Amino acid sequence: MSVQRPTYGFEGLPIEPVEAGTNILVTGPALGGIRELTLRMLLRGSRQEGTLFIAADVDGPQTLTDYEGFGGSLDFVRTGVVDCTEDGVDNSECNVHAVGSPGDLTGVGIEFSSLYERIHANGAEHVRTGVYTLSPFVVYAPSKAVFRFLHTLTGRIRTADGLGVCAIDPGTVDDQTLSSLAQAFDGQVELREEGDERAVRIRGLADQPDDWQPVDLRT
Amino acid sequence: MSELTVLCVDPDESGRAAVREAFAGEDVTVTEAGSVDAARNALGPAVDCVVTEYTLPDGTGLDVAGAVREMRPDLPVVLFTNESPDRIRTDDREGVVVEYLPRDLPSAGESLARLVGNVVTERSQVGYPLPTAEDERLAALGQYDQPGLETAEAFERLTALAGSYFDVDVAFVGLVDAHEERFLACSGANWETLSREDSMCTHTILKDDAMVVEDTHADGRFADNDRLDELNIRAYAGVPLETPRGATIGAFCLTDDEPRSFSESDIADLRRFAAEAVDQLELRHRLSENDRLSDGETTDDGGGAQ
Repeated sequence: MSVQRPTYGFEGLPIEPVEAGTNILVTGPALGGIRELTLRMLLRGSRQEGTLFIAADVDGPQTLTDYEGFGGSLDFVRTGVVDCTEDGVDNSECNVHAVGSPGDLTGVGIEFSSLYERIHANGAEHVRTGVYTLSPFVVYAPSKAVFRFLHTLTGRIRTADGLGVCAIDPGTVDDQTLSSLAQAFDGQVELREEGDERAVRIRGLADQPDDWQPVDLRT
Repeated sequence: MSELTVLCVDPDESGRAAVREAFAGEDVTVTEAGSVDAARNALGPAVDCVVTEYTLPDGTGLDVAGAVREMRPDLPVVLFTNESPDRIRTDDREGVVVEYLPRDLPSAGESLARLVGNVVTERSQVGYPLPTAEDERLAALGQYDQPGLETAEAFERLTALAGSYFDVDVAFVGLVDAHEERFLACSGANWETLSREDSMCTHTILKDDAMVVEDTHADGRFADNDRLDELNIRAYAGVPLETPRGATIGAFCLTDDEPRSFSESDIADLRRFAAEAVDQLELRHRLSENDRLSDGETTDDGGGAQ
């Protein structure tokens, strides 16, 4: 007897649905559409899904505004942000929880766990978690702390049947660091930009196209 | 879940009782402490996970986490408390990274038992990258790393040869186990073990080829690793030890106290040293398998005489 595992789909993107519990590293140039791609991958497939953002490069309110701009619905019972930027402030109205520094990974981890529990308790069995981007953590925190945090994050997503989408601009870290960070993920989505053409390539995930696939990230 | 030992840190008997209750009926031993100091004394090798309240008489649950990261760096810590996240002071504890679970959730006990099981099996709080098939790798290591295999003399000769051949400070053969690297032989230093989060071989075993770091200070993976400076490691070259069945169990390595490069022919020679070390381990492994066979046991290892 086979049991159909729940999946997460990506409407309008050349990425086939992935199994629940999958963690994906998205790489590409910051100005080449990686933010758009990450936010699009976090669009909820149904009203029952939850969305949790860990915002490190761009603050919480801006993250929510951009997400809405891509068609994301802001249901603050099941949507929330851990804001890790230096000037982040708590905002209970739109479920934004500030940590104050991307170097405080203990604080980020505690806020993440707490928010995940609450979104779950509010009825979201499936939660999409997005990190935009990992670079400030790598820059401001010691590498041991970064790995502890990544394992905590991806471990919770895996065991709670969630989806993890973590973005990083490869230009911000050295190749060796990027390849050891990638170790914590099930697969990678690479984004490239050549002239006006953008394309994605997927590695490490089952049942996906092998080659570069053109992608349109405009709203 | 196989047997686990959970250290519960809570000053109140009622709080400790709730944690005991959460694990009742499971194969879990709960040991108890009421303060940061007591927790420090109770952090024996048997402990698999720490569950701590936030407010303690002599500090906080994050101070407990700080002690854990010093003494048993890989051990998962769960903050189990009613303090809300914005009341938890993370100053000076920004890198310890713990799990957090509110006590006032409905069915908090059940959630706690599940979370503890998950963080232990997922190795959720280790401060380094994990190889893809870590469980299989550790199982393979167990077969090659048995008492009585007497590798020390052979590896002492081999590492002494490598040290003078490559003109480096230190040459060693290390096996990377679940939490630390153990040096089977180490020429030029008297290192015995190194925690996995500090060991460069932790990164070498991720790949099936040599890892060369010409200057640790110029490499994002190692630049903030103070332990390497204490051991005078500025340059490193290591080749993984891969068993015939493809498990990477350790590495043959060279280190030096100044930045330096290694030529392609150096690395080719280092691969030969590593291959020799693997042969030595494999021979001893087969001898012990044969001993077991002659004792009347059977194994599925058919790769004997060729």
